[in-house]
Amino acid sequence: MKRLLGVALGVLTAIGGFVDIGDLVTNAVVGSRFGMSLVWVVVVGVVGICLFANMSGRVAAASGRATFEVIRERLGPRAGLANLSASFLINLMTVTAEIGGVALALQLASSVHYLLWIPVAALAVWLVIWRVKFSIMENVTGLLGLTLIVFAVALFLLKPDWGSLAGQALAPAVPAEETAPTYWYYAIALFGAAMTPYEVFFFSSGAVEEGWKVKDLVQSRINVLVGFPLGGLLSVAIAGCAAVVLLPAGIAVTSLSQVILPVAEGAGKLGLAFVLVGVMAATFGAALETTLSSGYTLAQFFGWSWGKFRSPAQAARFHLAMIICLLVGLAVLATGVDPVLVTEYSVVFSAIALPLTYLPILIVANDPQYMGEHVNGRPVNVMAMIYLVIILVASLAAIPLMIVTGAGS
Amino acid sequence: MILGDLLGVHVYDDGGTRLGRVADARFVVDGPPRQLLADARLLGLVVSPHSASSFLGYERTGLDQPWPLPRMLRWRHRGSFLVLWEDIAMIGTKSVRLRAGFTAYSPALDGAGQE
Repeated sequence: MKRLLGVALGVLTAIGGFVDIGDLVTNAVVGSRFGMSLVWVVVVGVVGICLFANMSGRVAAASGRATFEVIRERLGPRAGLANLSASFLINLMTVTAEIGGVALALQLASSVHYLLWIPVAALAVWLVIWRVKFSIMENVTGLLGLTLIVFAVALFLLKPDWGSLAGQALAPAVPAEETAPTYWYYAIALFGAAMTPYEVFFFSSGAVEEGWKVKDLVQSRINVLVGFPLGGLLSVAIAGCAAVVLLPAGIAVTSLSQVILPVAEGAGKLGLAFVLVGVMAATFGAALETTLSSGYTLAQFFGWSWGKFRSPAQAARFHLAMIICLLVGLAVLATGVDPVLVTEYSVVFSAIALPLTYLPILIVANDPQYMGEHVNGRPVNVMAMIYLVIILVASLAAIPLMIVTGAGS
Repeated sequence: MILGDLLGVHVYDDGGTRLGRVADARFVVDGPPRQLLADARLLGLVVSPHSASSFLGYERTGLDQPWPLPRMLRWRHRGSFLVLWEDIAMIGTKSVRLRAGFTAYSPALDGAGQE
C-alpha cells in the first residue's frame, strides 16, 4: 500500500512538475498562431524526454553518478568545460525566465507590478532551497501544479469543434498567414520546451539526492512513462485553449495574461483562481528545479560536495553558486526585459544545447563499466539513435531559422 | 604545466614529421599502494593522426553499442597509437617529440579497461 501511494505520488508530481513557464508560453503562442498543427511536436518531445529521463535515471541509479559527473568523466576537462558553459548559461536563462514567470503570475493575482514581485520571488526560491526538504519541495509544487488541469477543463467548457481541432492535429499544415520557416522555428521551440535539459539534470541529481538504487528503477520508470505523457496532455490542452479562443480572435500571445485568458473565458472566476495557483506552482517549482540544476551542474563538474541532503555548511560552494545564480537572474530581470521574451529564447536555446547532454548520457548508458547489466537494451538504443538524429537536426537548424524568421516574428 | 595542457598538442617524430596530436594520457594504477588505490603512473600518451578529440570511452574494444556511434568514433581515431613515456624525447607547450625508433602500441583496451 505504501509502495502504491509512493507510485501515485510520483506520477502526480511528474504530471504537475512537467509544465513550466517554457511549456506555458510556447504552447500558448503556438496554439494562438498555428492552432493544433504543431501538436505532433509535443508528442515527439514527450517521447524524447521519457527516453532521456529513463536513461539518465538509470545511469544515476546504477552508477550513483548524476549527469554532469558523467559528462566530466566521459568528455574530459576541455570538451566538458565547453559543454558546462553552454548548458549552464542556458540553464541560467531558464532560471531567469522562471522567476519572471512567478512574478508575472503574482502580478496577475495581485495587480502589483511584476518588477516589485521579482525580489520576493527570488527570495522565496532561495529560502525554500536553503531550508525545505527535497521531497517536500518536490511533492508540494508538483501537486499544486496539478491545478493546471483546469486548462483541460476549460477546453471542454469552451465546447470547441472537436472535429476541426483533431483535424488540425492529425493532418498538420502550415496556416495560410504563417510561413514554413516560422512553422519549423516554433516546432523547434516546442521541442525545446518539452525536452529542456534542466529537467534531466534535475531528474538525475534528484535520483542521487533521494538515494535511488537499482530496485527503485521500476518506480522511476512508471513515474516517467505515465507522468510525463499526462503532463504532455496538459501542454496540448494549453495549446488547444489558445487555438479555440485566441486564434479566431487574431490574438498572438505575447504576455502571460493572454496565456490564461481562455481559461477565464471557459471556466470563469473559479477557473481563473485555479489557473493562477497552477501557474504560480508550476513556475515556482521550475524556478526551484532550475536554480538547483545550476548548482548541481557546477558542483558536479568541479567536484564540490553538493546536494540538499547535506546541510548548507557542508555544501557551501553549491549553495553559494545558487545564490549567485539567483542574483544574476534578478539583475537581468531588473533591466525590465520581458520575461515572456526571455522564455521564448530560452526554449530555443535549450533545443540548441540538448545534444551536449544527450550524447554523453547515451554513451554512458551503454557502458557496462558504469551500468553493469543495466545497459541500454536494443529497442531503447534504436529509439535513442533516432532521437539523436532528431535532436541534432533541431539543434543545427535552430540558429539559421532564428535568423531567417527574426526569432519567429 | 599540467597534464591537461598536453591534450591537443602536436606530436612529431625525431625527423620532424608530424604524427598527429595528443588525444589522451594513459595511466596504470601500479604505483606504491595507498589506503584505497595504488598511485597512478603515467604509462604514455595516445597520439591520434586525425583528431585530438576524446575517444569517449570507445578505446575499449568490448563496447559496440549504440550502433553506429562506436564505428564512427573509431574511424575518427583511425591510425592512433600509444607511445610509452620512455619513448618521448621532449615535451614542450607547443609540441611533443618522440625518440628515434619509438614503438607505436595499439591504444585499444579490452572491455574491462585492461591492455
